[in-house]
Amino acid sequence: MSAVRRKMSTGRVFGALVMYIVGILWVLPVLWMVSTSLKPESMIMEAVPRWIPAVFTLSNYQEVLERAALFKWLLNSVIVAATATFGVLAIDSMAGYAFARISFPGRDVLFMIVVATLMVPAQVTMIPLFFMLNEATLLNTHLALVLPRLGVAIGVFMLRQFFLSLPHDLEEAAAIDGASRYRVFVQIALPLAKPALSALAIVTFVWAWNDFMWPLIAISTQDMYTLPIGLSTLAGYYGREYGIQMAGAVIASLPVFVVFLMFQRQFIQGIALTGLKG
Amino acid sequence: MKFSGFSKRVSDAIAGYVLLLPFLIVLVVVVLYPLIQGFYMSFHNWGIFGDPVWVGLENYRQLWTDNNFRSSLWHTVYFVLLTTPPLVILGLLLAAGLNYPFRGRTLVRGMIFFPYLLTVSIVGIVWRWMLQRNYGLVNYYLGKMGIAPLGWLAEARTAMPSIALATIWWTIGFNLVVFLAALQDIPEELYEAARIDGAGPVKSFLRITVPLVRPTTIFVVIMQVIASFQVFGQVFVMTGGGPYGSTRTVVQYLYEQGFRYFRMGYASAIAYVLFFIMFVLTIVQWRVMGRREL
Repeated sequence: MSAVRRKMSTGRVFGALVMYIVGILWVLPVLWMVSTSLKPESMIMEAVPRWIPAVFTLSNYQEVLERAALFKWLLNSVIVAATATFGVLAIDSMAGYAFARISFPGRDVLFMIVVATLMVPAQVTMIPLFFMLNEATLLNTHLALVLPRLGVAIGVFMLRQFFLSLPHDLEEAAAIDGASRYRVFVQIALPLAKPALSALAIVTFVWAWNDFMWPLIAISTQDMYTLPIGLSTLAGYYGREYGIQMAGAVIASLPVFVVFLMFQRQFIQGIALTGLKG
Repeated sequence: MKFSGFSKRVSDAIAGYVLLLPFLIVLVVVVLYPLIQGFYMSFHNWGIFGDPVWVGLENYRQLWTDNNFRSSLWHTVYFVLLTTPPLVILGLLLAAGLNYPFRGRTLVRGMIFFPYLLTVSIVGIVWRWMLQRNYGLVNYYLGKMGIAPLGWLAEARTAMPSIALATIWWTIGFNLVVFLAALQDIPEELYEAARIDGAGPVKSFLRITVPLVRPTTIFVVIMQVIASFQVFGQVFVMTGGGPYGSTRTVVQYLYEQGFRYFRMGYASAIAYVLFFIMFVLTIVQWRVMGRREL
Protein backbone atom coordinates (compact mmCIF):
# COMPACT_ATOMS: atom_id res chain seq x y z
CA MET A 1 0.00 0.00 0.00
CA SER A 2 2.68 2.47 0.98
CA ALA A 3 4.74 1.43 -2.01
CA VAL A 4 1.78 2.21 -4.26
CA ARG A 5 1.27 5.60 -2.64
CA ARG A 6 4.95 6.44 -2.98
CA LYS A 7 4.83 5.50 -6.65
CA MET A 8 1.76 7.67 -7.12
CA SER A 9 3.34 10.66 -5.50
CA THR A 10 6.59 10.43 -7.48
CA GLY A 11 4.36 10.07 -10.54
CA ARG A 12 2.61 13.27 -9.56
CA VAL A 13 5.83 15.15 -8.97
CA PHE A 14 7.06 13.99 -12.35
CA GLY A 15 3.75 15.03 -13.96
CA ALA A 16 3.89 18.47 -12.36
CA LEU A 17 7.48 18.83 -13.56
CA VAL A 18 6.49 18.03 -17.13
CA MET A 19 3.68 20.59 -16.90
CA TYR A 20 6.08 23.28 -15.64
CA ILE A 21 8.40 22.58 -18.55
CA VAL A 22 5.58 22.76 -21.10
CA GLY A 23 4.30 25.96 -19.52
CA ILE A 24 7.74 27.57 -19.71
CA LEU A 25 8.21 26.39 -23.31
CA TRP A 26 4.87 27.95 -24.16
CA VAL A 27 5.71 31.40 -22.85
CA LEU A 28 9.21 31.50 -24.34
CA PRO A 29 8.07 33.09 -27.64
CA VAL A 30 6.23 35.78 -25.66
CA LEU A 31 9.30 36.43 -23.49
CA TRP A 32 11.48 36.58 -26.58
CA MET A 33 9.09 39.11 -28.10
CA VAL A 34 9.36 41.32 -25.02
CA SER A 35 13.13 40.86 -24.79
CA THR A 36 13.68 41.76 -28.45
CA SER A 37 11.45 44.82 -28.17
CA LEU A 38 13.68 46.23 -25.42
CA LYS A 39 16.98 45.89 -27.30
CA PRO A 40 18.63 48.58 -29.41
CA GLU A 41 18.37 47.75 -33.11
CA SER A 42 22.12 47.01 -33.36
CA MET A 43 21.99 44.32 -30.66
CA ILE A 44 18.97 42.39 -31.88
CA MET A 45 20.75 40.16 -34.35
CA GLU A 46 23.52 38.55 -32.41
CA ALA A 47 25.37 35.30 -32.99
CA VAL A 48 24.57 34.28 -29.42
CA PRO A 49 21.05 35.45 -28.58
CA ARG A 50 20.67 37.15 -25.20
CA TRP A 51 17.45 36.65 -23.24
CA ILE A 52 18.22 39.61 -21.04
CA PRO A 53 19.21 42.63 -23.13
CA ALA A 54 22.73 43.92 -22.49
CA VAL A 55 21.33 47.43 -22.95
CA PHE A 56 17.70 48.28 -22.27
CA THR A 57 16.01 50.83 -24.46
CA LEU A 58 12.51 52.04 -25.28
CA SER A 59 13.57 53.38 -28.66
CA ASN A 60 11.66 50.67 -30.54
CA TYR A 61 8.47 51.72 -28.80
CA GLN A 62 9.15 55.34 -29.60
CA GLU A 63 9.85 54.47 -33.23
CA VAL A 64 6.78 52.33 -33.75
CA LEU A 65 4.53 54.93 -32.17
CA GLU A 66 6.03 57.65 -34.36
CA ARG A 67 6.01 55.73 -37.60
CA ALA A 68 2.77 53.79 -37.31
CA ALA A 69 -0.68 54.99 -36.28
CA LEU A 70 -0.74 52.40 -33.50
CA PHE A 71 -3.05 54.32 -31.18
CA LYS A 72 -5.47 55.03 -34.00
CA TRP A 73 -5.55 51.28 -34.80
CA LEU A 74 -6.01 50.50 -31.13
CA LEU A 75 -8.92 52.93 -30.96
CA ASN A 76 -10.53 51.39 -34.07
CA SER A 77 -10.18 47.92 -32.56
CA VAL A 78 -11.73 49.04 -29.29
CA ILE A 79 -14.66 50.75 -31.05
CA VAL A 80 -15.36 47.76 -33.28
CA ALA A 81 -14.98 45.08 -30.62
CA ALA A 82 -17.01 47.00 -28.02
CA THR A 83 -19.85 47.82 -30.43
CA ALA A 84 -19.97 44.23 -31.68
CA THR A 85 -20.08 42.94 -28.11
CA PHE A 86 -22.94 45.21 -27.04
CA GLY A 87 -24.84 44.49 -30.22
CA VAL A 88 -24.43 40.74 -29.88
CA LEU A 89 -25.49 40.77 -26.23
CA ALA A 90 -28.61 42.82 -26.99
CA ILE A 91 -29.96 40.93 -29.98
CA ASP A 92 -28.78 37.46 -28.92
CA SER A 93 -30.29 37.68 -25.45
CA MET A 94 -33.67 38.69 -26.89
CA ALA A 95 -33.59 35.93 -29.49
CA GLY A 96 -32.24 33.33 -27.06
CA TYR A 97 -34.98 34.13 -24.58
CA ALA A 98 -37.72 33.99 -27.21
CA PHE A 99 -36.49 30.58 -28.43
CA ALA A 100 -36.21 29.18 -24.92
CA ARG A 101 -39.29 30.51 -23.20
CA ILE A 102 -42.01 31.66 -25.55
CA SER A 103 -44.08 29.40 -27.76
CA PHE A 104 -45.09 30.83 -31.11
CA PRO A 105 -45.84 29.29 -34.50
CA GLY A 106 -42.74 28.45 -36.54
CA ARG A 107 -40.38 28.60 -33.58
CA ASP A 108 -38.73 25.24 -34.10
CA VAL A 109 -38.22 25.74 -37.83
CA LEU A 110 -36.71 29.18 -37.24
CA PHE A 111 -34.42 27.76 -34.58
CA MET A 112 -33.23 25.02 -36.93
CA ILE A 113 -32.43 27.61 -39.59
CA VAL A 114 -30.51 29.69 -37.06
CA VAL A 115 -28.47 26.68 -35.90
CA ALA A 116 -27.86 25.59 -39.50
CA THR A 117 -26.20 28.95 -40.26
CA LEU A 118 -23.46 27.95 -37.82
CA MET A 119 -22.26 25.50 -40.47
CA VAL A 120 -21.67 28.25 -43.04
CA PRO A 121 -17.99 29.19 -43.22
CA ALA A 122 -17.47 32.95 -42.98
CA GLN A 123 -15.61 33.01 -46.31
CA VAL A 124 -18.77 32.02 -48.16
CA THR A 125 -20.59 35.21 -47.21
CA MET A 126 -17.59 37.55 -47.41
CA ILE A 127 -17.64 38.07 -51.15
CA PRO A 128 -21.32 39.01 -51.46
CA LEU A 129 -21.06 41.07 -48.25
CA PHE A 130 -18.16 42.97 -49.74
CA PHE A 131 -20.27 43.64 -52.78
CA MET A 132 -23.36 44.69 -50.82
CA LEU A 133 -21.43 47.05 -48.56
CA ASN A 134 -19.63 48.47 -51.56
CA GLU A 135 -22.98 49.29 -53.18
CA ALA A 136 -24.17 50.85 -49.92
CA THR A 137 -20.87 52.79 -49.70
CA LEU A 138 -20.37 51.30 -46.26
CA LEU A 139 -17.00 49.70 -46.93
CA ASN A 140 -14.09 51.08 -44.91
CA THR A 141 -16.33 51.98 -41.94
CA HIS A 142 -16.58 50.63 -38.41
CA LEU A 143 -20.11 49.49 -39.16
CA ALA A 144 -18.83 47.25 -41.97
CA LEU A 145 -16.65 45.47 -39.41
CA VAL A 146 -19.37 45.17 -36.76
CA LEU A 147 -22.25 43.93 -38.94
CA PRO A 148 -21.04 40.42 -39.85
CA ARG A 149 -20.18 39.74 -36.19
CA LEU A 150 -23.83 40.40 -35.24
CA GLY A 151 -25.01 37.61 -37.50
CA VAL A 152 -23.05 34.87 -35.72
CA ALA A 153 -25.67 32.59 -34.19
CA ILE A 154 -23.56 30.93 -31.51
CA GLY A 155 -24.62 33.45 -28.85
CA VAL A 156 -28.31 32.82 -29.54
CA PHE A 157 -27.71 29.11 -29.22
CA MET A 158 -25.73 29.46 -26.02
CA LEU A 159 -28.18 31.86 -24.33
CA ARG A 160 -31.13 29.69 -25.34
CA GLN A 161 -29.48 26.75 -23.57
CA PHE A 162 -28.96 28.94 -20.54
CA PHE A 163 -32.54 30.23 -20.39
CA LEU A 164 -33.82 26.67 -20.80
CA SER A 165 -31.92 25.70 -17.66
CA LEU A 166 -33.45 28.44 -15.51
CA PRO A 167 -36.35 27.46 -13.22
CA HIS A 168 -39.75 28.76 -14.32
CA ASP A 169 -41.07 29.82 -10.89
CA LEU A 170 -39.98 33.44 -10.85
CA GLU A 171 -41.25 34.18 -14.32
CA GLU A 172 -44.56 32.52 -13.59
CA ALA A 173 -45.01 34.45 -10.38
CA ALA A 174 -44.37 37.70 -12.24
CA ALA A 175 -46.79 36.70 -14.98
CA ILE A 176 -49.48 36.05 -12.44
CA ASP A 177 -48.83 39.52 -11.06
CA GLY A 178 -49.68 40.80 -14.52
CA ALA A 179 -46.17 41.60 -15.80
CA SER A 180 -45.83 41.54 -19.59
CA ARG A 181 -43.35 39.25 -21.38
CA TYR A 182 -41.06 42.18 -22.02
CA ARG A 183 -40.96 43.11 -18.35
CA VAL A 184 -40.38 39.51 -17.35
CA PHE A 185 -37.51 39.33 -19.82
CA VAL A 186 -35.85 42.58 -18.79
CA GLN A 187 -36.45 42.50 -15.06
CA ILE A 188 -36.28 38.82 -14.23
CA ALA A 189 -34.65 36.71 -16.93
CA LEU A 190 -31.82 39.08 -17.90
CA PRO A 191 -30.48 39.64 -14.37
CA LEU A 192 -30.45 35.88 -13.83
CA ALA A 193 -28.49 35.41 -17.05
CA LYS A 194 -25.58 37.55 -15.92
CA PRO A 195 -23.00 34.73 -15.79
CA ALA A 196 -23.91 33.53 -19.29
CA LEU A 197 -24.00 37.09 -20.62
CA SER A 198 -20.59 37.95 -19.25
CA ALA A 199 -19.10 34.75 -20.66
CA LEU A 200 -20.59 35.54 -24.07
CA ALA A 201 -19.42 39.16 -23.80
CA ILE A 202 -15.80 38.32 -23.16
CA VAL A 203 -15.65 35.67 -25.86
CA THR A 204 -17.31 37.94 -28.42
CA PHE A 205 -14.97 40.78 -27.52
CA VAL A 206 -11.82 38.72 -28.02
CA TRP A 207 -13.07 37.18 -31.28
CA ALA A 208 -14.03 40.57 -32.68
CA TRP A 209 -10.72 41.98 -31.49
CA ASN A 210 -8.83 39.24 -33.33
CA ASP A 211 -10.82 39.24 -36.57
CA PHE A 212 -8.40 39.22 -39.45
CA MET A 213 -9.68 38.28 -42.87
CA TRP A 214 -12.81 40.40 -42.96
CA PRO A 215 -11.14 43.68 -41.84
CA LEU A 216 -8.35 42.95 -44.32
CA ILE A 217 -10.99 42.91 -47.06
CA ALA A 218 -13.39 45.60 -45.85
CA ILE A 219 -10.84 48.23 -44.79
CA SER A 220 -8.78 50.08 -47.37
CA THR A 221 -7.19 53.09 -45.67
CA GLN A 222 -4.51 53.15 -42.97
CA ASP A 223 -6.48 55.35 -40.59
CA MET A 224 -9.27 52.75 -40.47
CA TYR A 225 -7.02 49.71 -39.84
CA THR A 226 -7.73 47.63 -36.79
CA LEU A 227 -4.76 46.51 -34.72
CA PRO A 228 -4.36 43.06 -36.36
CA ILE A 229 -4.34 44.54 -39.85
CA GLY A 230 -2.05 47.42 -38.94
CA LEU A 231 0.39 45.06 -37.24
CA SER A 232 0.52 42.75 -40.21
CA THR A 233 1.60 45.67 -42.38
CA LEU A 234 4.50 46.39 -40.01
CA ALA A 235 6.10 43.11 -41.05
CA GLY A 236 5.94 44.26 -44.66
CA TYR A 237 7.31 47.76 -44.07
CA TYR A 238 9.96 46.94 -41.50
CA GLY A 239 10.83 43.44 -42.73
CA ARG A 240 14.12 43.07 -40.89
CA GLU A 241 13.57 45.63 -38.15
CA TYR A 242 12.40 43.07 -35.64
CA GLY A 243 12.72 45.41 -32.67
CA ILE A 244 10.03 47.71 -34.07
CA GLN A 245 7.77 44.80 -34.96
CA MET A 246 8.11 43.27 -31.51
CA ALA A 247 7.44 46.61 -29.82
CA GLY A 248 4.25 46.91 -31.85
CA ALA A 249 3.32 43.35 -30.92
CA VAL A 250 3.91 44.01 -27.21
CA ILE A 251 1.74 47.13 -27.27
CA ALA A 252 -0.99 45.23 -29.09
CA SER A 253 -0.92 42.31 -26.64
CA LEU A 254 -1.09 44.47 -23.52
CA PRO A 255 -4.85 45.18 -23.62
CA VAL A 256 -5.62 41.50 -24.17
CA PHE A 257 -3.29 40.55 -21.34
CA VAL A 258 -5.08 42.93 -18.97
CA VAL A 259 -8.51 41.72 -20.08
CA PHE A 260 -7.34 38.15 -19.62
CA LEU A 261 -6.11 38.77 -16.07
CA MET A 262 -9.39 40.45 -15.19
CA PHE A 263 -11.82 38.05 -16.83
CA GLN A 264 -9.95 34.75 -17.03
CA ARG A 265 -12.79 32.83 -15.39
CA GLN A 266 -15.53 34.23 -17.64
CA PHE A 267 -13.44 33.63 -20.70
CA ILE A 268 -12.79 30.01 -19.86
CA GLN A 269 -16.47 29.57 -19.12
CA GLY A 270 -17.35 31.18 -22.42
CA ILE A 271 -15.20 28.73 -24.33
CA ALA A 272 -16.51 25.77 -22.39
CA LEU A 273 -20.07 26.90 -23.15
CA THR A 274 -19.73 27.73 -26.81
CA GLY A 275 -16.90 25.39 -27.76
CA LEU A 276 -16.49 27.27 -31.00
CA LYS A 277 -13.22 28.38 -32.50
CA GLY A 278 -13.09 32.01 -33.57
CA MET B 1 -48.27 27.28 -18.42
CA LYS B 2 -49.30 30.39 -16.60
CA PHE B 3 -49.18 32.42 -19.80
CA SER B 4 -52.52 30.88 -20.76
CA GLY B 5 -55.80 32.15 -22.11
CA PHE B 6 -56.22 32.90 -25.81
CA SER B 7 -55.49 36.61 -25.86
CA LYS B 8 -52.62 36.03 -23.49
CA ARG B 9 -51.22 33.39 -25.82
CA VAL B 10 -51.52 35.68 -28.84
CA SER B 11 -49.81 38.58 -27.14
CA ASP B 12 -47.15 36.17 -25.94
CA ALA B 13 -46.54 34.87 -29.44
CA ILE B 14 -46.25 38.45 -30.66
CA ALA B 15 -43.70 39.14 -27.93
CA GLY B 16 -41.77 36.12 -29.21
CA TYR B 17 -41.59 37.53 -32.73
CA VAL B 18 -40.74 41.01 -31.49
CA LEU B 19 -37.84 39.73 -29.40
CA LEU B 20 -36.61 37.57 -32.26
CA LEU B 21 -36.88 40.23 -34.93
CA PRO B 22 -33.63 42.17 -34.49
CA PHE B 23 -31.49 39.05 -34.69
CA LEU B 24 -33.47 37.61 -37.58
CA ILE B 25 -33.13 40.81 -39.60
CA VAL B 26 -29.37 40.81 -39.09
CA LEU B 27 -29.20 37.10 -39.93
CA VAL B 28 -31.05 37.63 -43.19
CA VAL B 29 -28.94 40.65 -44.17
CA VAL B 30 -25.47 39.34 -43.30
CA VAL B 31 -25.83 35.56 -43.68
CA LEU B 32 -28.89 34.24 -45.51
CA TYR B 33 -29.10 36.77 -48.31
CA PRO B 34 -25.32 36.74 -48.96
CA LEU B 35 -25.46 32.94 -48.97
CA ILE B 36 -27.88 32.99 -51.89
CA GLN B 37 -26.22 35.96 -53.57
CA GLY B 38 -22.83 34.23 -53.41
CA PHE B 39 -24.24 31.12 -55.06
CA TYR B 40 -25.73 33.30 -57.78
CA MET B 41 -22.42 35.12 -58.25
CA SER B 42 -20.59 31.84 -58.70
CA PHE B 43 -22.38 31.37 -62.06
CA HIS B 44 -21.11 34.70 -63.39
CA ASN B 45 -18.04 36.48 -64.54
CA TRP B 46 -18.30 39.05 -61.80
CA GLY B 47 -15.79 41.87 -61.62
CA ILE B 48 -15.81 45.11 -59.71
CA PHE B 49 -16.47 47.20 -62.83
CA GLY B 50 -18.91 46.44 -65.61
CA ASP B 51 -21.93 44.19 -65.64
CA PRO B 52 -21.73 40.60 -64.53
CA VAL B 53 -21.92 38.04 -67.33
CA TRP B 54 -23.74 34.73 -66.88
CA VAL B 55 -21.37 31.84 -67.58
CA GLY B 56 -23.29 28.90 -66.13
CA LEU B 57 -21.03 26.24 -64.66
CA GLU B 58 -17.91 27.62 -66.32
CA ASN B 59 -16.33 28.77 -63.04
CA TYR B 60 -16.75 25.33 -61.50
CA ARG B 61 -15.50 23.62 -64.65
CA GLN B 62 -12.46 25.89 -64.63
CA LEU B 63 -11.80 25.14 -60.95
CA TRP B 64 -11.76 21.44 -61.76
CA THR B 65 -8.77 21.93 -64.05
CA ASP B 66 -7.12 24.83 -62.20
CA ASN B 67 -3.77 23.53 -60.98
CA ASN B 68 -3.40 26.35 -58.48
CA PHE B 69 -6.73 25.46 -56.95
CA ARG B 70 -5.86 21.79 -56.82
CA SER B 71 -2.55 22.48 -55.15
CA SER B 72 -4.21 24.88 -52.69
CA LEU B 73 -6.64 22.11 -51.78
CA TRP B 74 -3.77 19.72 -51.18
CA HIS B 75 -1.89 22.31 -49.09
CA THR B 76 -5.00 22.80 -46.98
CA VAL B 77 -5.43 19.06 -46.42
CA TYR B 78 -1.73 18.86 -45.54
CA PHE B 79 -2.19 21.65 -43.00
CA VAL B 80 -5.24 19.94 -41.51
CA LEU B 81 -3.28 16.69 -41.18
CA LEU B 82 -0.30 18.47 -39.63
CA THR B 83 -2.33 20.37 -37.05
CA THR B 84 -5.33 18.24 -36.07
CA PRO B 85 -3.66 15.20 -34.44
CA PRO B 86 -1.25 17.20 -32.27
CA LEU B 87 -3.87 19.77 -31.34
CA VAL B 88 -6.31 17.08 -30.24
CA ILE B 89 -3.91 14.58 -28.64
CA LEU B 90 -1.64 17.14 -27.02
CA GLY B 91 -4.69 19.12 -25.95
CA LEU B 92 -6.13 16.11 -24.14
CA LEU B 93 -2.79 15.10 -22.61
CA LEU B 94 -2.17 18.61 -21.30
CA ALA B 95 -5.71 18.79 -19.95
CA ALA B 96 -5.21 15.48 -18.14
CA GLY B 97 -1.90 16.69 -16.71
CA LEU B 98 -3.41 20.00 -15.64
CA ASN B 99 -6.43 18.35 -14.06
CA TYR B 100 -4.30 16.89 -11.26
CA PRO B 101 -3.88 19.34 -8.42
CA PHE B 102 -0.36 20.68 -8.00
CA ARG B 103 1.18 23.94 -6.87
CA GLY B 104 1.06 26.61 -9.57
CA ARG B 105 -1.44 24.71 -11.70
CA THR B 106 -3.56 27.79 -12.45
CA LEU B 107 -0.49 29.70 -13.54
CA VAL B 108 0.64 26.92 -15.90
CA ARG B 109 -2.87 26.72 -17.39
CA GLY B 110 -2.77 30.46 -17.98
CA MET B 111 0.70 30.26 -19.56
CA ILE B 112 -0.43 27.65 -22.09
CA PHE B 113 -3.74 29.34 -22.76
CA PHE B 114 -2.46 32.89 -23.14
CA PRO B 115 -1.20 32.68 -26.78
CA TYR B 116 -4.76 31.88 -27.90
CA LEU B 117 -5.69 35.45 -27.01
CA LEU B 118 -3.02 36.95 -29.24
CA THR B 119 -4.14 38.18 -32.59
CA VAL B 120 -2.88 36.23 -35.57
CA SER B 121 -0.58 38.99 -36.79
CA ILE B 122 1.30 38.95 -33.49
CA VAL B 123 1.63 35.17 -33.76
CA GLY B 124 2.83 35.58 -37.33
CA ILE B 125 5.48 38.23 -36.74
CA VAL B 126 6.77 36.64 -33.54
CA TRP B 127 7.25 33.26 -35.25
CA ARG B 128 8.80 34.83 -38.34
CA TRP B 129 11.42 36.25 -35.99
CA MET B 130 11.77 32.98 -34.03
CA LEU B 131 12.25 31.06 -37.29
CA GLN B 132 14.51 33.60 -38.98
CA ARG B 133 17.38 31.89 -40.78
CA ASN B 134 20.51 33.56 -39.43
CA TYR B 135 19.55 35.01 -36.07
CA GLY B 136 16.36 33.19 -35.18
CA LEU B 137 16.09 31.47 -31.83
CA VAL B 138 15.02 28.13 -33.31
CA ASN B 139 18.05 27.79 -35.56
CA TYR B 140 20.34 28.88 -32.74
CA TYR B 141 19.23 26.11 -30.40
CA LEU B 142 19.07 23.53 -33.19
CA GLY B 143 22.59 24.62 -34.10
CA LYS B 144 23.71 23.77 -30.57
CA MET B 145 22.44 20.27 -31.25
CA GLY B 146 24.46 20.18 -34.45
CA ILE B 147 21.64 20.84 -36.89
CA ALA B 148 22.50 23.17 -39.76
CA PRO B 149 20.43 26.37 -40.00
CA LEU B 150 17.32 26.27 -42.17
CA GLY B 151 15.31 29.02 -43.80
CA TRP B 152 12.16 27.60 -42.29
CA LEU B 153 9.68 29.86 -44.02
CA ALA B 154 11.74 30.32 -47.16
CA GLU B 155 11.87 26.68 -48.20
CA ALA B 156 8.90 24.87 -49.69
CA ARG B 157 9.67 21.72 -47.69
CA THR B 158 9.54 23.37 -44.26
CA ALA B 159 7.23 26.37 -44.71
CA MET B 160 3.94 24.59 -44.07
CA PRO B 161 5.17 22.58 -41.06
CA SER B 162 6.48 25.85 -39.61
CA ILE B 163 3.08 27.49 -40.00
CA ALA B 164 1.55 24.40 -38.41
CA LEU B 165 3.96 24.68 -35.47
CA ALA B 166 3.02 28.32 -34.88
CA THR B 167 -0.65 27.36 -35.12
CA ILE B 168 -0.31 24.59 -32.55
CA TRP B 169 1.43 27.00 -30.19
CA TRP B 170 -1.27 29.58 -30.80
CA THR B 171 -4.47 27.56 -30.44
CA ILE B 172 -3.75 24.57 -28.19
CA GLY B 173 -5.05 26.54 -25.20
CA PHE B 174 -8.52 26.48 -26.68
CA ASN B 175 -8.69 22.68 -26.88
CA LEU B 176 -7.08 22.49 -23.46
CA VAL B 177 -9.94 24.48 -21.96
CA VAL B 178 -12.62 22.43 -23.72
CA PHE B 179 -11.03 19.17 -22.54
CA LEU B 180 -10.53 20.48 -19.01
CA ALA B 181 -14.23 21.27 -18.79
CA ALA B 182 -15.01 17.69 -19.86
CA LEU B 183 -12.51 16.17 -17.42
CA GLN B 184 -14.05 18.01 -14.52
CA ASP B 185 -17.27 16.09 -15.11
CA ILE B 186 -15.57 12.74 -14.53
CA PRO B 187 -16.22 11.65 -10.94
CA GLU B 188 -13.06 11.46 -8.85
CA GLU B 189 -14.25 8.11 -7.37
CA LEU B 190 -13.53 6.35 -10.65
CA TYR B 191 -9.85 7.26 -10.44
CA GLU B 192 -9.86 6.43 -6.74
CA ALA B 193 -11.23 2.96 -7.48
CA ALA B 194 -8.71 2.40 -10.25
CA ARG B 195 -5.92 3.47 -7.91
CA ILE B 196 -7.00 0.95 -5.30
CA ASP B 197 -7.02 -1.73 -8.00
CA GLY B 198 -3.40 -0.79 -8.62
CA ALA B 199 -3.81 1.03 -11.93
CA GLY B 200 -1.11 3.62 -12.65
CA PRO B 201 -1.74 7.06 -14.17
CA VAL B 202 -1.16 5.81 -17.73
CA LYS B 203 -3.62 2.99 -17.33
CA SER B 204 -6.31 5.18 -15.75
CA PHE B 205 -5.80 7.75 -18.49
CA LEU B 206 -6.34 5.13 -21.18
CA ARG B 207 -9.11 3.19 -19.41
CA ILE B 208 -11.07 6.01 -17.75
CA THR B 209 -10.23 9.41 -19.21
CA VAL B 210 -10.08 8.57 -22.92
CA PRO B 211 -13.38 6.66 -23.10
CA LEU B 212 -15.27 9.12 -20.92
CA VAL B 213 -14.26 12.25 -22.82
CA ARG B 214 -15.07 10.57 -26.13
CA PRO B 215 -18.03 12.82 -27.03
CA THR B 216 -15.87 15.88 -26.34
CA THR B 217 -13.05 14.42 -28.40
CA ILE B 218 -15.39 13.92 -31.35
CA PHE B 219 -16.58 17.48 -30.98
CA VAL B 220 -13.04 18.86 -30.74
CA VAL B 221 -11.84 16.89 -33.77
CA ILE B 222 -14.71 18.15 -35.91
CA MET B 223 -14.26 21.75 -34.77
CA GLN B 224 -10.50 21.47 -35.29
CA VAL B 225 -10.84 20.15 -38.83
CA ILE B 226 -13.28 22.97 -39.62
CA ALA B 227 -10.98 25.61 -38.14
CA SER B 228 -7.84 24.21 -39.79
CA PHE B 229 -9.58 23.93 -43.14
CA GLN B 230 -10.21 27.67 -43.05
CA VAL B 231 -6.60 28.60 -42.25
CA PHE B 232 -5.74 32.03 -43.59
CA GLY B 233 -4.23 34.63 -41.24
CA GLN B 234 -1.12 32.66 -40.28
CA VAL B 235 -0.35 31.95 -43.93
CA PHE B 236 -1.03 35.52 -44.98
CA VAL B 237 1.27 37.00 -42.34
CA MET B 238 4.03 34.39 -42.26
CA THR B 239 4.53 33.50 -45.93
CA GLY B 240 1.86 35.21 -48.01
CA GLY B 241 1.30 31.81 -49.61
CA GLY B 242 4.93 31.36 -50.68
CA PRO B 243 7.55 30.23 -51.28
CA TYR B 244 6.44 29.45 -54.85
CA GLY B 245 2.84 29.02 -53.72
CA SER B 246 3.79 26.09 -51.50
CA THR B 247 1.71 27.34 -48.57
CA ARG B 248 -1.16 28.74 -50.58
CA THR B 249 -4.31 27.33 -48.97
CA VAL B 250 -7.87 27.37 -50.30
CA VAL B 251 -8.86 30.48 -48.38
CA GLN B 252 -5.63 32.21 -49.35
CA TYR B 253 -6.40 31.38 -53.00
CA LEU B 254 -9.97 32.62 -52.56
CA TYR B 255 -8.58 35.87 -51.14
CA GLU B 256 -6.17 36.30 -54.04
CA GLN B 257 -8.80 35.60 -56.69
CA GLY B 258 -11.58 37.63 -55.08
CA PHE B 259 -9.81 40.59 -53.58
CA ARG B 260 -6.53 40.93 -55.41
CA TYR B 261 -7.75 40.17 -58.95
CA PHE B 262 -11.42 40.92 -58.19
CA ARG B 263 -12.62 37.76 -59.90
CA MET B 264 -15.63 37.66 -57.58
CA GLY B 265 -17.54 35.00 -59.50
CA TYR B 266 -14.59 32.65 -59.53
CA ALA B 267 -13.87 33.36 -55.85
CA SER B 268 -17.51 32.62 -55.03
CA ALA B 269 -17.22 29.27 -56.77
CA ILE B 270 -14.14 28.53 -54.61
CA ALA B 271 -16.13 29.50 -51.52
CA TYR B 272 -18.93 27.13 -52.43
CA VAL B 273 -16.60 24.25 -53.13
CA LEU B 274 -14.98 24.94 -49.74
CA PHE B 275 -18.41 24.98 -48.10
CA PHE B 276 -19.35 21.72 -49.79
CA ILE B 277 -16.13 19.96 -48.80
CA MET B 278 -16.42 21.11 -45.18
CA PHE B 279 -20.02 20.04 -45.04
CA VAL B 280 -19.24 16.56 -46.35
CA LEU B 281 -16.21 16.25 -44.06
CA THR B 282 -18.29 17.14 -41.03
CA ILE B 283 -20.99 14.63 -41.89
CA VAL B 284 -18.45 11.88 -42.58
CA GLN B 285 -16.56 12.51 -39.37
CA TRP B 286 -19.78 12.54 -37.44
CA ARG B 287 -20.77 9.20 -38.93
CA VAL B 288 -17.41 7.50 -38.61
CA MET B 289 -16.67 8.60 -35.08
CA GLY B 290 -20.20 8.44 -33.81
CA ARG B 291 -20.64 4.86 -35.01
CA ARG B 292 -17.87 3.32 -32.96
CA GLU B 293 -19.58 4.46 -29.83
CA LEU B 294 -20.84 1.49 -27.85
